[in-house]
Amino acid sequence: MSIVGLEKNTGKTECLKYVLDNLPVESKRIAVTSIGIDGETVDQVTRTQKPEISLRQGMYFGTSEMHYRQRRLVSELIDVSDETTSLGRVVTAKALTGGKILLSGPSSSNSLRRWMRDMRRHDIDLVIIDGALSRLSSASPAVSQSLILATGAAYSANLTTLVSKTAHVVDLVNLELTSERNINTLMPLEKGVWFIDKSGELKELDAVTSLSRDIHFEGMDDCETLYVAGALVDGFLEKVRKNKSLRQVELVVRDFTKIFVAPQQFRLFIKAGGRISVLQRSKLIAVTVNPTSPSGYVLDSDTLCDRLSEAIGLPVYDLLKNNR
Amino acid sequence: MLDELELQSGFARRWLLDSPMMSRDEEIAAAYDELRRFNRFIGQVEKTYIDTLLFKLQGLKDIRTTIKNLKHGATLDDIELFEVKHLAILAADVSKLLAQHDMSGVVEIPPVDEVIDILDPDGMRIATFYIYDSYCAQLKDLRVQMRQNPGQQDELLLQAGELEEGVRRDLSTRLSPLATNIENALVALARIDVLMAKALQMNRLGLTFPALSHDGTSHYKAMFHPQVKEALKKHGRDFQPVDISYGKEPTLITGANMGGKTVVLKTLTLCQYLFQFGFGIPAASATIAVRDEIHFCIGDEQSVEKGLSSFAAEMKNIDAVIKASRENKKMLALIDEPARTTNPTEGAALVTALLGVLAGKDMSLIMTTHYDIDPRGARCLRVKGFENGEMDYRLEEVQNGEVPHEALNIAQSLGIDPEWIDRARELLMNPPANKENDKH
Repeated sequence: MSIVGLEKNTGKTECLKYVLDNLPVESKRIAVTSIGIDGETVDQVTRTQKPEISLRQGMYFGTSEMHYRQRRLVSELIDVSDETTSLGRVVTAKALTGGKILLSGPSSSNSLRRWMRDMRRHDIDLVIIDGALSRLSSASPAVSQSLILATGAAYSANLTTLVSKTAHVVDLVNLELTSERNINTLMPLEKGVWFIDKSGELKELDAVTSLSRDIHFEGMDDCETLYVAGALVDGFLEKVRKNKSLRQVELVVRDFTKIFVAPQQFRLFIKAGGRISVLQRSKLIAVTVNPTSPSGYVLDSDTLCDRLSEAIGLPVYDLLKNNR
Repeated sequence: MLDELELQSGFARRWLLDSPMMSRDEEIAAAYDELRRFNRFIGQVEKTYIDTLLFKLQGLKDIRTTIKNLKHGATLDDIELFEVKHLAILAADVSKLLAQHDMSGVVEIPPVDEVIDILDPDGMRIATFYIYDSYCAQLKDLRVQMRQNPGQQDELLLQAGELEEGVRRDLSTRLSPLATNIENALVALARIDVLMAKALQMNRLGLTFPALSHDGTSHYKAMFHPQVKEALKKHGRDFQPVDISYGKEPTLITGANMGGKTVVLKTLTLCQYLFQFGFGIPAASATIAVRDEIHFCIGDEQSVEKGLSSFAAEMKNIDAVIKASRENKKMLALIDEPARTTNPTEGAALVTALLGVLAGKDMSLIMTTHYDIDPRGARCLRVKGFENGEMDYRLEEVQNGEVPHEALNIAQSLGIDPEWIDRARELLMNPPANKENDKH
């Protein structure tokens, strides 16, 4: 499970703390790590600001060598991996007492996946990933099965804007899975734009990515499924919407992290009857809010929770308020 | 071949890349004896057993820095102590696995029990580590207090930290005299990884154990190039194996274009290196002579960075061969179409002269050429060539170095523009009057 914040100061760390404090550590094996932003610059720049996480006895954790040496708990080393970060190799350990630790795990999705694969040896029931700041990609279904989204006044201080921007992200996360047949056909295709016609035949479009400017949808009258393996962007979506022969087409993307489309453009597409689905989906468990922005502006917590919950059809929590 | 070697650990790869080429008979014979043992071993045991061993070897890590610290009397930290314990348990596990099949003595793994005892005071035999409670009663008390009074944790941790450091100092002092054993265990495991990978590669690619030649001659039966064979297989075609022998007499290979001359040279070079690094040899059988140096000169490499044209780069390479030949080194030189990029008159002169310069030296020279040259003093091999629309890649010994004139037929079979080919054919039949065409 990933925990991601839509902006700094949206309460991602509070959320992680809440989750770790409330999990049944006696009956489940829980491991926690974090993913640094690719290139790791932020970890290095903000390493002093990075908050310490309180672990409970029995929890497993993955962090860098440097942060392991600074730990404030007693722990047993389980593994020293080949994955390196700017703060040294990623080490895995088990907390033998409760206490505090700085988390700095694998620095890319791929190395995170490898780390999680290695964790299988230790019969871990749940891995919790402290996602990178404002990087939804760390919550990709390729890495985690479920996620918690942290949003708040730091993302937008205007209540209506905040609700609609957050609802857009939630809409993307909740996009439906495409058919099993499509999943089997399209999953191996990692680049390019492809379509499946009515007879079920798979064809590749000449344009290399959806970013290409000169995409022409020709000879696609009997196209049923249009698949964008890479990023889906505004221009491409607009072209699909404006093309009459593609009205009934099901547009498929790999997962929600591949969609880089403005909320307005996305809404226009859906309004025009367009359908977007995904090959991989993660389950959105909850949304948490921090009504206070770093500039000191405070939204009304109850109104925010109610309005957002109404817009996304999911429970919304203000963890600080509930904890108070 | 190195890339195709399925090594389990990155350290084994590094160790292999750092090992020098063997150039003594006994060394190579010993290496193949070891490999033979492993080859027999993987043929005898269950696949699950091999998988278990390979899986274990995946855990091998390069901890040379830690060992160096230990040797210098430094106090190791928890991560370093973990590494040492992890390696020691791995070495003990692998030793045990190999002993089950009477493989203990093949690669000697030094005893590491003492290391494990030091780092595993509770006798758990698990490759995890922390400063265990049983190292220090006082430490144990502090930790109990920590669990009971989380509020005082920071202060208690501070006190515990000093005690832990004392334990680390003590452990490092006790481990220090064992550092050489630990280092040897590390290398032994890397060697086992390499030997397992070589043995498995022999089976996968159909490689053979070579015999050592003591008279300076080398002989191959049904030699093949593994990568070319694999590539052909993908296109549904078979690689035609080649028989070849050579000794101190220079060997000249002639033959049609596309006759596989370059592949022969590349395969011979590959085989020589594989031999001197103790790998299986791609042939049905092979007897190979050890060389001090191997020189492979292929004409089409340009050295752009040095600002050399392909001709200049080639001349420099061959020059290095001549210089080395004067130092009386036992050498194998394989030269592909020397002077190919220059005009035929000077080219042929350069090649004939090269043959003269290198003849009689304590070396094996194998050279391909398209030029009609005087082959005196050399053994001549020719690719059988183009027959009934098919290429026969085998080599046959011929009495003179006369080069076959098959370029036009081959070009035609490739479907090259007929006007071009026909005009060329006409020119051969009726040479232009103004040009002298004889040769001596």
